Amino acid sequence: MIEEIHNQAPVQKASNLIQINHKLVSVEALLKTCYWFSRDFVCDITQDGLGQSIVDLKPKPGCRMALGDAREQFTAQAMDFALRERVTAKTSEVRDLLLAKAFSESGVLEEQPQGVFGDTLEEVKPDGMFKILSNS
Amino acid sequence: MSRSFYPFENFAPAPQQVSLLPFQFTHLFGQELLVNEAGEFLFAPEGTTRSLLEGAVDVRSNLYKDLKAKHIVYDETSSPLLDVLATKIRTKYDHLSGGTRLHIFVVTLRCEHSCHYCQVSRQTAAKGEFDMSQETADRSISLMLDSPSPHVTLELQGGEPLLAFDMIQYIVPKAKEEARIRDKGLDIVVTTNLACATDEMLTYFRDEEIRISTSLDGPAFLHNKNRPRPGNDSYERAIDGIERGRAILGHSNVAALMTTTAASLDHVEEIIDEYVRRDFHTIFLRPISPYGFALKTKDRTGYEMERFLEFYKQGLAHILNINRSGYRLAEIYSQILLSKILTPQGTGYVDLQSPAGGAWNVLVYNYNGDVFASDESRMLAEMQDWTFRLGNVHKDNRRSLFTSEAALKMFEVSCNQSLAGCSDCAFQSYCGADPIYHHATQGDMYGHRPTSGFCTRNMEVIKHLFSFIKEDNPETMKIFWSWLTGSPLPAKRGTCD
Repeated sequence: MIEEIHNQAPVQKASNLIQINHKLVSVEALLKTCYWFSRDFVCDITQDGLGQSIVDLKPKPGCRMALGDAREQFTAQAMDFALRERVTAKTSEVRDLLLAKAFSESGVLEEQPQGVFGDTLEEVKPDGMFKILSNS
Repeated sequence: MSRSFYPFENFAPAPQQVSLLPFQFTHLFGQELLVNEAGEFLFAPEGTTRSLLEGAVDVRSNLYKDLKAKHIVYDETSSPLLDVLATKIRTKYDHLSGGTRLHIFVVTLRCEHSCHYCQVSRQTAAKGEFDMSQETADRSISLMLDSPSPHVTLELQGGEPLLAFDMIQYIVPKAKEEARIRDKGLDIVVTTNLACATDEMLTYFRDEEIRISTSLDGPAFLHNKNRPRPGNDSYERAIDGIERGRAILGHSNVAALMTTTAASLDHVEEIIDEYVRRDFHTIFLRPISPYGFALKTKDRTGYEMERFLEFYKQGLAHILNINRSGYRLAEIYSQILLSKILTPQGTGYVDLQSPAGGAWNVLVYNYNGDVFASDESRMLAEMQDWTFRLGNVHKDNRRSLFTSEAALKMFEVSCNQSLAGCSDCAFQSYCGADPIYHHATQGDMYGHRPTSGFCTRNMEVIKHLFSFIKEDNPETMKIFWSWLTGSPLPAKRGTCD
């Protein structure tokens, strides 16, 4: 779980440590979270070798966010990015098929994609476009 | 008399195989906003995404029906409708078909105004080396019509193009004849400050079916401050030109745009009221472009994006009140975004596209034959930054322009679907990528979204528009729909009709 492990006051001297368990939030999701906090904070990340990262949020000059709020938002956003990864994992194949179908009918592709919804890997159509593409 | 029916289960069995479709989500107004690949959205209770991933949404619930209707989930009963979703996605990207539609010809750099924010070099009004030559015009017309688009728009711009009226008179018949031979549709627009527009010029535009786009920054004190010229009478000349233009060309063939400078920020209602007083029915609350002289004169004209957003929100509130009083006045940026949010259509608006509109949707042919990916690219070149110069009409053809190093570098970062900060954004399908803006403001085409003025502006404007949609006030929504469809405004407050 993501855990707040340290909160020092006062704000201007504080650094704020947040512990991330990578069983729940991947490194990629953590980095995306840090990206959005990079306007107001320097995010120092250290890995403990036990599948966890420690993020040290250091406010930049002119930081517009209170540390307490930042900690709360950081954990919430990290969980959101983890959710988004799961959505992407479940939907990327059907997304590829949707886009292929959308643009094929615009004449961009010479042939219609053969995939069918519900069979995005085209297991029932071994000669389908995605099989061919994935084997090429 | 009542009639009883068999229970629902007798007509449709409960779905057995529920699958997710691609969507993005964010948190807004205490709910989750889910947006599908075609930009259709649904406000759902917090935790809906997690419930969907855990298979915990009751397939008999209204929420499930809404999710299915919005193409966020599908099951064995709705999978044939996924072809409809593909069609919706194609419709959203319709602006990509056909190739470049807007072609801007810079017929001269000369101008008698000396606006602080002007994005191009201000040359003296003496005729000379800063006018487009006939040879350059010929090649530019040919390249314009090489675009696969069956219908193109030619925008004649400057500097002040009316100072090179002879070149306009050369280009217009040439372009029309060439378009006729190639069987292409052609619209022509002149972008002018109208200060030196004579009745003969306006009559020529009427006869050639050319529309006018001019500048009106607000009431006299503001317009004259923003747009100085000898005599300090740019406002009076613009108003005179607008009135004569309407009388000769017809009311709807004269449009106006405003630019927001630091001096404008405290006067949004006066600016809007000026547009109403002048009988305009559209206004575009535009921030200053961070290019050209606007960068040099930043201290005089610049401001933080947050300050512009206050200006925009205050302005939109005033515009809605004006519409409530029965006068139709659409705010163009809101209209563009509302069209993307509420309708299946995309828009042709170049600055808010993914892939970015530069080159795909607009090409600029400078007076000397240089071709740029957008008007902003040309402004950068005036500051000796040639990053987005695609080539020159005398050396290049359409293929070489589009495969130039400058074009390829730009195309690489033109899709917000693949940009850090955008790829997971719920507003992705309403927004765009703008490598030229990010190059100009951050020194990097890719851009850094957390500190990007482009991202700040669009995120905040989109959220603001969603606040109205969530509120679902019938009067406000009727105004929005009237902007999108031309339907009547709601009845005036205090009247019975």
